[in-house]
Amino acid sequence: MDPKALSWHIEQAGPMRPRGRRGRRLLNRGVCAFSIASAAVGLLFLAWILWTVMHRGAAAINWTFFTHRLAPPGAEDGGVGNAIVGTLLMTLLATLLAVPIGLLAGVWLSEFGRDSRLAGIVRMFCNVLMGTPSILIGLFIYTVIVIQTRPPHFSGYAGAIALAILMLPLVARTAEEMLRLVPNELRESAMALAMPRWRVTLTILFRSAKAGIITGIVLAVARVSGETAPLMFTALNSNYWPDTMNEQMSNLTMTVYQYAKSPYPDWQQQAWGAALLITAGVLVTTLGARLILLTGRGRGARR
Amino acid sequence: MTRTIINGERMDTARPRISESTPKPGRNPAADPAPDDAPARRQVSPAVPVVRTQSPAPDPSADGVPPRIVVQNLSFFYGATQALFDNNLSIATNRVTAIIGPSGCGKSTHLRVYNRIFELYRDQRATGTVLLDGQNILAPGVDLLELRKRVGMIFQKPSPFPMSVLDNIASGLRLHYRLSRSELSDRCEDALRRAAIWDEVKDKLRAPGTSLSGGQQQRLCIARAIAIEPEVLLMDEPCSAIDPVATAKIEELIEQLARRYTIVLVTHNMQQASRVSNYTAFFFKGRIVEFGETTQIFTNPVEKQTEDYITGRFG
Repeated sequence: MDPKALSWHIEQAGPMRPRGRRGRRLLNRGVCAFSIASAAVGLLFLAWILWTVMHRGAAAINWTFFTHRLAPPGAEDGGVGNAIVGTLLMTLLATLLAVPIGLLAGVWLSEFGRDSRLAGIVRMFCNVLMGTPSILIGLFIYTVIVIQTRPPHFSGYAGAIALAILMLPLVARTAEEMLRLVPNELRESAMALAMPRWRVTLTILFRSAKAGIITGIVLAVARVSGETAPLMFTALNSNYWPDTMNEQMSNLTMTVYQYAKSPYPDWQQQAWGAALLITAGVLVTTLGARLILLTGRGRGARR
Repeated sequence: MTRTIINGERMDTARPRISESTPKPGRNPAADPAPDDAPARRQVSPAVPVVRTQSPAPDPSADGVPPRIVVQNLSFFYGATQALFDNNLSIATNRVTAIIGPSGCGKSTHLRVYNRIFELYRDQRATGTVLLDGQNILAPGVDLLELRKRVGMIFQKPSPFPMSVLDNIASGLRLHYRLSRSELSDRCEDALRRAAIWDEVKDKLRAPGTSLSGGQQQRLCIARAIAIEPEVLLMDEPCSAIDPVATAKIEELIEQLARRYTIVLVTHNMQQASRVSNYTAFFFKGRIVEFGETTQIFTNPVEKQTEDYITGRFG
């Protein structure tokens, strides 16, 4: 800009009437108090849930609870051992199915699809899938697997597949987000060393994004291991120790569902115990994920 | 502005050193200009219309230095936006060529064509010819991995890989050479020594590369790039993110490296260009306004725009 015009503009700017300080201070306090109250409401309910579950569930926890299988009401030696095994097995299988596919999808979205139209479509479907009510996914698996098998039957496999479908978009999107956080300079430096693209992704990008991706996977596992609706139409529940995953499979969430609505006090007691187990499991995995993220940041992955 | 600001003495001693190294036979016999190369370049200069602000590419072979890279009519596009307009330039072998100019004038864009790293982004496109030892690297069918092995690059922001200091060097080496364990560690040490960082990291080779200071990280990146024995080293504002002490070290390093490598240095810092380079190209709005020996550009520029820029009267 021409210096003359510039100085003219500068001189043009006259004094301004200052805004009142009191109103601003009041507004500031009001907004601050409101946000503290909102946070407190959330925390209050979390604490309430945790306390209730612990308080009422703790009575059910004993050795038999872990080592014995589901039993009819009134039986002395009822436990949820088979449900624990069933939940672990189905969650494990779901993880094995969803993680490789989800990771590859995330790599494609972040590294190759990027801004293409197809990537946009894939990303949108991922989001839709994440928002789909989980009972719909249970119904879907019921329709395409459970009643199509000969003879039609509920199975742990069907349950695991339903859980895997729930996990898939979570893993894909976190993997994409974490890979996108890796600065482009790192990609360019690796490519400038004549490193082929696949190798850049495997040795540089994954290493950089490792902590975030693992955290994402653990959180996805925690999330699906607490799901009931997808199992209602797929794995159902069972009173027996699983011999194979190709049959109805016991699990903690369905046990809570069935026992809690039963009229038998000992079943209700066990439902509280199972609820405590699920809550503790999710809590521990989530905290574990946090820990991975923290220590992972401390080493290598610092940016 | 004069060239004697900080390192005036060193400059004066450095110049003869470089011309001494000239008669030394080329490390790579294939690098000597092919017989059909020089005429090709001469054909181009008259082809550039006089009306353009483009100064014809000077002929560095005039003082006996053959060109390693010859750029002819290079244009560059970000989507529909043209960023470079008919650039013509010769990069002399085993010399430092500096590219200067205001922000957004296309310096980095120009540099990023030499190893085709811009192709990482789908909407970027280059037209024209860039001859590396007579071979057009923009032609289809060029082996990108081979090209990038020959043309190394240092970026503005130090970018060590998320692994140990040693693995940062070794990962590139293993990619291109079959080396025994002892050879590998020898080569790593050698690269770190040549990048003038060995003494600072020899006791923490297993520490993560990201734990080093900014200046050390940048020298680590230089070590990583020269470990694989490139012929050309592209440096995209290598000192802009580090402090003056580390900058001085890297500038000294650049002078040393020029004995073995052809260096193209993009810089915002004109003193830096005058201190370390033999040739300077002044870019403005995607065009090469003036190109010549650094001494001439900084003491006796032909173009008014160049003079305005280097004296700080730009606007």
